[in-house]
Amino acid sequence: MSASYTPVVQALIEEFGRLPGIGPKSAQRIVFYLLKLPVDDAKRLAKAIVDAKERVQFCDRCFNIADGPLCPVCRDDRRDPTVVCVVEEPRDIVSVERTGEFHGRYHVLMGALNPLDGIGPEHLKVRELVTRIGSDDIEEVILCTNPNTEGEVTALYLARLLKPLGVRVTRLASGLPVGGDLEYADELTLGRALEGRRVVET
Amino acid sequence: MSRLYRDTGVVLRTYKLGEADRIVVLLTAENGKVRAVAKGVRKTNSKFGARLEPMSHVKVLLYRGRELDIVSQAESVESLAPMLASLDRASRGIATLEAVDMIAIERQPNRRLYEMLVGALRTIAAHPSPVVVPAFFWKLLAAEGFRPVTDRCVRCGEAGPLVAFDVGEGGTLCRACRQGTPISAPALALLNDILGGRLNEALAADESSATHEVASLATHAIEHHVERRLRAVAMFEGA
Repeated sequence: MSASYTPVVQALIEEFGRLPGIGPKSAQRIVFYLLKLPVDDAKRLAKAIVDAKERVQFCDRCFNIADGPLCPVCRDDRRDPTVVCVVEEPRDIVSVERTGEFHGRYHVLMGALNPLDGIGPEHLKVRELVTRIGSDDIEEVILCTNPNTEGEVTALYLARLLKPLGVRVTRLASGLPVGGDLEYADELTLGRALEGRRVVET
Repeated sequence: MSRLYRDTGVVLRTYKLGEADRIVVLLTAENGKVRAVAKGVRKTNSKFGARLEPMSHVKVLLYRGRELDIVSQAESVESLAPMLASLDRASRGIATLEAVDMIAIERQPNRRLYEMLVGALRTIAAHPSPVVVPAFFWKLLAAEGFRPVTDRCVRCGEAGPLVAFDVGEGGTLCRACRQGTPISAPALALLNDILGGRLNEALAADESSATHEVASLATHAIEHHVERRLRAVAMFEGA
């Protein structure tokens, strides 16, 4: 990259260029936008970044993103403590929460088993999940990992591990996305959708 | 000349690319190992759906690019459902993929390897015997030209008794020459069944210390050959 900017600006461009999906040109555009911004706005952005980095931590119980020892879901007493939904990443919690259908608690694994990349159970929060089941009053574990090979393998592994502990282990159903075309549905998804068909309520 | 081409292949592994895409590594029948981008495959309404997951056997329409090809269409040849029906099937299937990924060379057609992989995955889907993966590894080595000597001592030619196996020497050794790993008589018999065309008898064997011995030797031998560690094999042992 040409070093024709002053070092201060150049350094900022390089910092932005490190962010995912941002190339040198986009970084340059963002930096010039920021330079034109009123000082207060720029300071607010800087403060937001610093605050987030300093205050955000992982929930002690479920490893969701939190701004204290426990995340908002674990702090909420109205949530059902007997049902735990196991997800791969904290952002999956947001997706499940948006449905408004789930009122239990969560457990974030921080990834999925990936034998080809050498990611084994010891790299995930599996031991912590087993400990939780031993100590909390958990009756049902919903395996909410992604419906791809890694997620399925993770779910199968957890099911084998957790069933002997005497909890009900369930897996998220697979089916057709609402708004999709049957013609483009793959055989595995359509097959599972058929398997899990239900009586039409009239 | 059109840059679109058709082929049939097995998905060996996938890498995430950007926000919703994946790079798919396929072992194809006609073009060897091919790396292709599947656009939008991580979205729930993707037209590819579950067809481009590892272990999928698919007919694909690919567009040849400079570095990476692009998957234009994909159609299943065999259902992936049985492979994801149990942990044994899934983990054994993934172990075969890993070994094939290490041996296959990009853009170098290897029909035999493709057929062996498809056969192994079918066998796992139908009956996930603990011998499938080791048997596949031994067959793979034999096909690559590293068939071990198992009927005499690899060093002195003595017919028996054979008591050890050394991957460096490439076969069994007699009492006088022994080095490497000790091998029991049942394990040697199983190994001879696998390499001697009695695969069905070998696959019918129940899990025993002999199958474990043959399995660990197979992993050891293939790791010696590709000079890399296999990660998938050991992961679910004992699970």
